[in-house]
Amino acid sequence: MTKDKREGGNLIGVSAKKMNVTQEIRTRLEAAFAPSHLDVVDDSESHRGHGGYREGGESHFNVAIRARAFEGQSRIMRHRAVHSALGKDLVGRIHALSLDIDV
Amino acid sequence: MSDTATQIQEQITANDVVLYMKGTKEMPQCGFSSRVAGVLNYMGVEFADVNVLADDAVRQGIKDFSDWPTVPQLYVKGEFVGGCDIITEMTMSGELDTLFETNGVTYDKDAAEKIREANG
Repeated sequence: MTKDKREGGNLIGVSAKKMNVTQEIRTRLEAAFAPSHLDVVDDSESHRGHGGYREGGESHFNVAIRARAFEGQSRIMRHRAVHSALGKDLVGRIHALSLDIDV
Repeated sequence: MSDTATQIQEQITANDVVLYMKGTKEMPQCGFSSRVAGVLNYMGVEFADVNVLADDAVRQGIKDFSDWPTVPQLYVKGEFVGGCDIITEMTMSGELDTLFETNGVTYDKDAAEKIREANG
């Protein structure tokens, strides 16, 4: 393996590791629901000094999602679908997740 | 059922309206819990508050019981209604009024209208 290739490999490794929580949420929701609209906002700063805040953010998120996939579902079903798409690991890492879900 | 699940089942059976929250209705310890408790207080709804911060078993147990990852959680007549986002949406849409009426829970309709006027 040449030096250049090794560095290239390392770069990819670093960028994959650095995928932040905002990007992870976005990636998982896009894969699950093919939304027509998706906003993922790290709102952690506005909770500075409050419960669950940690330095560096990534604790409080606001998500607004619009997708046909939610058609005919109750509010609870929509929220459960989003929780499930994000997965227990990711949901467990977030202190607060505010969801605005509609078709 | 685990002891905690039994305890939760008893709480939501014994009380028409139960809010699992961080802190108490007099002194909420989290903005989301505070918002839901505030709506219920303002609407004059009689409810039991369960402070999950006071009991680690309940803090995790209510998440497992409802299969819902966050607190607050509202129960009406033994049925899970939702968390902060859902209660806020239902307050604004009037669905919460309907839910209380359907279940025979006393609340102040004028106060509910005032919330909608102030936040609409």
